[in-house]
Amino acid sequence: MNTNLKISNVTKIYPGCVANDNVSLEFNSGKIYALLGENGAGKSTLVKILSGVIIPDEGKIYLNENNLKLNSPLDAKKNDIGMVFQHFNLFETLSVFENLIIDSDEERESLREKIDSIMKKYNFSIDLDIPVLNLSAGQKQKVEIIRCLIRNPKVLIMDEPTSVLTEQETSELFLSLKKFSEEGILIIYITHKLKEVMELCDEVAVMRRGKLVSVSEIKNENIESLANKMVGQNLKTIRKKKEKTSSDQLINIINLNFISEDPFETNLSDINFSVNRGECLGIAGISGNGQSELFQVLSGEIISDKNSIEFNKNYIGDLNPQERREYLMAFSPEDRLEQAAIPQMAIFENVALNNFKSSNFFNNGLINENKIKEHSKKIISDFNVNTDNIELKSQFLSGGNLQKLIIGRELITSPDLLICFNPTWGLDVGAINYIHETLIKINEQNKSIILISTDTDELLKLSDKISVIHKGKLSKIMNADEVTSEKLGILMGGGN
Amino acid sequence: MIKIVKRDQPSRAIFFLTPILAIFLTLVAGGLIFYILGFKPFEALKFFFIVPIADKYGFSELLLKATPLCLIAIGLSFCFKSNNWNIGAEGQLTFGAIVSGGVALLFYEQEGFYILPIVILAGAIGGMLYASIPAILKTYFNTNEILVSLMLVYVSKLILDYLVVGPWSNPEGFNFPETRQFSDSARLPLLFEGLRIHAGIFLALASVVISWFVFYKTYLGFQMKVSGFSLKTAKYAGYKGKKMIILVFLISGACAGLAGVGEITGPIGQLHREVSPDYGFTAIIVAFLGRLHPVGIIFASLVVAITYLGAETAQIFMQIPKYTGQVFQGMILFFLLASDYLLFFKFKFIGSKK
Repeated sequence: MNTNLKISNVTKIYPGCVANDNVSLEFNSGKIYALLGENGAGKSTLVKILSGVIIPDEGKIYLNENNLKLNSPLDAKKNDIGMVFQHFNLFETLSVFENLIIDSDEERESLREKIDSIMKKYNFSIDLDIPVLNLSAGQKQKVEIIRCLIRNPKVLIMDEPTSVLTEQETSELFLSLKKFSEEGILIIYITHKLKEVMELCDEVAVMRRGKLVSVSEIKNENIESLANKMVGQNLKTIRKKKEKTSSDQLINIINLNFISEDPFETNLSDINFSVNRGECLGIAGISGNGQSELFQVLSGEIISDKNSIEFNKNYIGDLNPQERREYLMAFSPEDRLEQAAIPQMAIFENVALNNFKSSNFFNNGLINENKIKEHSKKIISDFNVNTDNIELKSQFLSGGNLQKLIIGRELITSPDLLICFNPTWGLDVGAINYIHETLIKINEQNKSIILISTDTDELLKLSDKISVIHKGKLSKIMNADEVTSEKLGILMGGGN
Repeated sequence: MIKIVKRDQPSRAIFFLTPILAIFLTLVAGGLIFYILGFKPFEALKFFFIVPIADKYGFSELLLKATPLCLIAIGLSFCFKSNNWNIGAEGQLTFGAIVSGGVALLFYEQEGFYILPIVILAGAIGGMLYASIPAILKTYFNTNEILVSLMLVYVSKLILDYLVVGPWSNPEGFNFPETRQFSDSARLPLLFEGLRIHAGIFLALASVVISWFVFYKTYLGFQMKVSGFSLKTAKYAGYKGKKMIILVFLISGACAGLAGVGEITGPIGQLHREVSPDYGFTAIIVAFLGRLHPVGIIFASLVVAITYLGAETAQIFMQIPKYTGQVFQGMILFFLLASDYLLFFKFKFIGSKK
């Protein structure tokens, strides 16, 4: 049977922002639809409206001409709309089967048969009786999908499903989605990854700042045209000039180990690598494979054996971050809002977090506010932070501007080495470009970078050498021009 | 139609106006309660808020009550500004009083200029020791400081109870639950003949100035602030975040301990069962009403101190239970938290559409 889903003039206003501005869209089964947009474009709000999590201020939703009243996620389920969220909603300690039947009132035996037949049909192989915490991210996602399929949905909504998957898992997912579509399930695929849209979808709707910008068929689009629609401006592509890098070694990590007391952290074992001056070493991997621990060990938040880190011919493994900064290292952590900056404090106060002795921010234990403010103004103008008020609390900066401030704060002291962790995570394309240009520029000034990132495209674009971290171990270091994203994908998944 | 719109930035003017609004709303609601109870609202409020401080004696009593509130609230502001929820100041006050009282009893019937400083110091140390318990448990064992500090309040009160009834009770005291009178050298001097206001007020004023200086002007204050907002950031910046947590608890405990010293070495001059009419808890309201700012806390402590006096006056003249004072304290906090909504949102009046 044909399924037709119609969104008609949906508006949702939050205090201070219009998340959905009079959005109208129509979907028909047999096709895979992409809903494309940057962070904050309003995609998530729209799908939350479709799945009953959010109630719109205005507008109606029709499924096969029936006006749906979606006041709760249960209403959406009853009306055959299934949704797989970006973050899994599974009980980690319950078994797969228990997770699947938790919201169903059918009998266990008949459900078990049903689940078995679904798994057979789509070639899923998951042990139903092990706890969910033993599953990989890809398997967990399959559990979520099966949970939707049990209810024979007419519509299946996938919210950024590949953000936690390896390349292989992604292509498996795509195969399944195509199969579902052939069987008449209407699929709405939410993403900001252009490559996936081109690969998977038939039609694409682009959103920007709460408004629907365009609806078009994929065959009439290409990556550049979609990117421009998504960002709303013409982007120049940047590419790194591959030059011969020096052989002058800057940092050398020797047999570094880290064993954590926290069961939710990853242990690092036998980390060995070195970075030369003017070089960018990229470290790829799926998040949760020890990146955060590696960053902390490199920055000095976790102190290790003195001799395990040699920097500029000094052994610094036992120094804390502030002491390492004196040796001209700089750090940009992953979490902008909870670690790299304090949103509730003013911009200039955040600048003072990177405290060099020579910058004289604090004399004899007293705050030298004038010095900090002077310094802050310089960062704001040198690094294009879009504000002129350094007394502004940093929570009022956009993600991109905050990241520019953080990178600026770390770079204005001209360090020899910048260690950054997912520097463009969650940023819009304009800000990503700026950060990438900045990182390339510091390599050109013969300064080095260690770039820990989960974004393979970013790594391939910026790195001279690449290694992959998997379960706390680094792969061998490869030259970036010999590496393909497929190869990285295999290594990221633990293959060889 | 009225529409609620989010502010782009919390309003600074509103930040200082909401405490005043909260006090106003408290008066209105208080008047209403009096009306329902069958009193004339304006007369009752007059008894509550004006009569008690209409004369010199009343004003001295106001300062007497405001002194511990201000001192404790200043200490708490260090904790609260760095997101450490120490709500056990009452216990720290009590323990400070116990330690300083014990020291004062050691110097029973001795005279000397050195005695008072030792007694004061002992009180501060007692408060610090007691505050260090939740601090250390929080930093090294991840316990919740709210629970620990609150529970310790009752522990300290029971210790005090035991001491004044048992080993420290006055041998000539006809079994009253109190200790001997401290010697004059162990007591904070009274400032005026016939009034109860004592030198403890200088301790409170000094704490105001010192706290302002430390928090806003020093590197130490900056580190405390950062550690309070995010231990992860403190670690990243290279600060010793855990030490900062312990430090703010110690400061807070010292202030509460000093307030305890003031209570027992001031007008009373002995340890007894009720060293504090819940100053340690009320000071939490004072700290928030004063927006955790030293100057704000001075005013807030005066406002809240009136509710103590007003409750007594109202009990005498209107036969209302003195617990009405706590009702008013509760209402102030309630309306303050409610009006904080205005910090982030504003009402917009727009002509009716459609």
